[in-house]
Amino acid sequence: MGARSIPLRNSWGAWARLRGLLSWLLGGIDISRRVGAFTLISLGSFMTQRRVAPKVMRPLVQEQVFRAGIRVLPIVLFLGAALGLVIVGQTVLLLVQVGQRDLVGPMMVTVMVRELAPLTAALVVLARVGTATVTELGTARAMGEVEALEVLGIDPVHYLVVPRLVGFSVATVSLTAYIAAVSMVSGYVSAFLRGLPMTPGEFIWAVVSAFSWLDFPLLGLKALGFGVLTSMVICHHGLAQPLRIEEVGQVTTRTVAHALVGCLVLDGLFLPFYLTL
Amino acid sequence: METARLIEMEGVTVKAPGAGLTGIDWVVCAGESWAVTGLQGSGKTALVEVVVGLASPIRGEVRLFGQRMAEMSPSDLANVRQRMGVVFEGRGRLFPRLSVYENVALPLCYRGNLSMTEVLPTVGGLLERMGLEPVAEQSAGALGYAWARRVALARALVMGPELLLVENPFAGLDAAHTRWWRRFLGELKQGVALPSQRSLTLVMTVDDPRWILGLCDRFAVTHGGGWRSFATRSDFERCAGGELRELLHDTD
Repeated sequence: MGARSIPLRNSWGAWARLRGLLSWLLGGIDISRRVGAFTLISLGSFMTQRRVAPKVMRPLVQEQVFRAGIRVLPIVLFLGAALGLVIVGQTVLLLVQVGQRDLVGPMMVTVMVRELAPLTAALVVLARVGTATVTELGTARAMGEVEALEVLGIDPVHYLVVPRLVGFSVATVSLTAYIAAVSMVSGYVSAFLRGLPMTPGEFIWAVVSAFSWLDFPLLGLKALGFGVLTSMVICHHGLAQPLRIEEVGQVTTRTVAHALVGCLVLDGLFLPFYLTL
Repeated sequence: METARLIEMEGVTVKAPGAGLTGIDWVVCAGESWAVTGLQGSGKTALVEVVVGLASPIRGEVRLFGQRMAEMSPSDLANVRQRMGVVFEGRGRLFPRLSVYENVALPLCYRGNLSMTEVLPTVGGLLERMGLEPVAEQSAGALGYAWARRVALARALVMGPELLLVENPFAGLDAAHTRWWRRFLGELKQGVALPSQRSLTLVMTVDDPRWILGLCDRFAVTHGGGWRSFATRSDFERCAGGELRELLHDTD
């Protein structure tokens, strides 16, 4: 009996694991569907209500750009410099040491500009303003402010979501450019101090010549995509249901996880375009 | 000339604890002052939510300003809402991160595409008339309860509504604030509180009707899932039903 029960238990365990995986996948599909619908509604509101109350909306957008962009600039500059020291500096030095000087440019463009810069920018926005925004919107929903806006004739999506959509997206695109530039400079300085046999002009030329003309629109599109995705996941989780105080931590953690997975999936979608460059 | 009907309900059921608040046949005409009384949880808030379009009735037909609610497009609903002001229960669902001035000015700025400074004459005048000028720059989230209620009233009035809905106007107020609300609501009814000199149609929900008897000329009671309306104050006071006795605390 005992000998027979072991394979049974094993098969039951495998079945439970399979069920867990399936429910995780279904959960992922469901959240993607809901965030997708929310994104369409928000983009629709952004497109159709561009001329509604610009004197009210402009300061709100500026506030979000300041909050997600300008206020996080010091930490972004620090991160860019740190990434430069750790990744660019070491990689450049290593490539030169093994005689692969020609790969310095392509390696920098692929690793830093195409991949790490937009991802780091999205992560910074998510960590610095995303969690606060989820709490803010969740509380607004719980306190009935969303219904109050509706009754006052103010579209809650237009008033609460559109400024964050625009602000976070603009911030992510701008921060991506800052991170890419700062990491290159700090990386070169670090490698130079450790005896890199390349002049600044040679390094800049190596990086610039590795760029394809398609890199610029693709980078802009990717950073914009990360910004839109991050802001939509944040706003959706904040507004989807009235939050109780004890739920805030859980929803915030879920927001970060969902936005991160979403960004990585979106990143993967860009891969076929980069492979053709 | 026939008086305009602002709210019409026929055989309406709204969501409330139990089977809901049923059998609502209600007509609110311009110039009337209604007190809708009932115990807590009897469906008064659900009724207000249906009137302002935040919820749909479970059954029956609702007309607002002559338009069937079920056939209204979002823009129709927005236009109807522009003609009514709402003071929600408690702190009035103010926006706590905005100042008192911004709370009151926001609907005017948004609908008229005006900056906060452009509406200063209108909003400043209203705040002054309502005794809110000293707290105008304060954050709404830091205001005391009674002042928050008054700010909610100012926000409901700033667009110059024809119909004003107030949830529990005197709940949790001290004697001085209660006196102010009674006087101000009376002036709104007579049309002397605001520069427009237009008398407002009032609908107030109250848990305890004794505070409001002198202010209203029409009454309705929500009790045990049912609805009863009275054309006059004397009819309301003559009503010997258990529901009224319970509301007026006449029974032990």
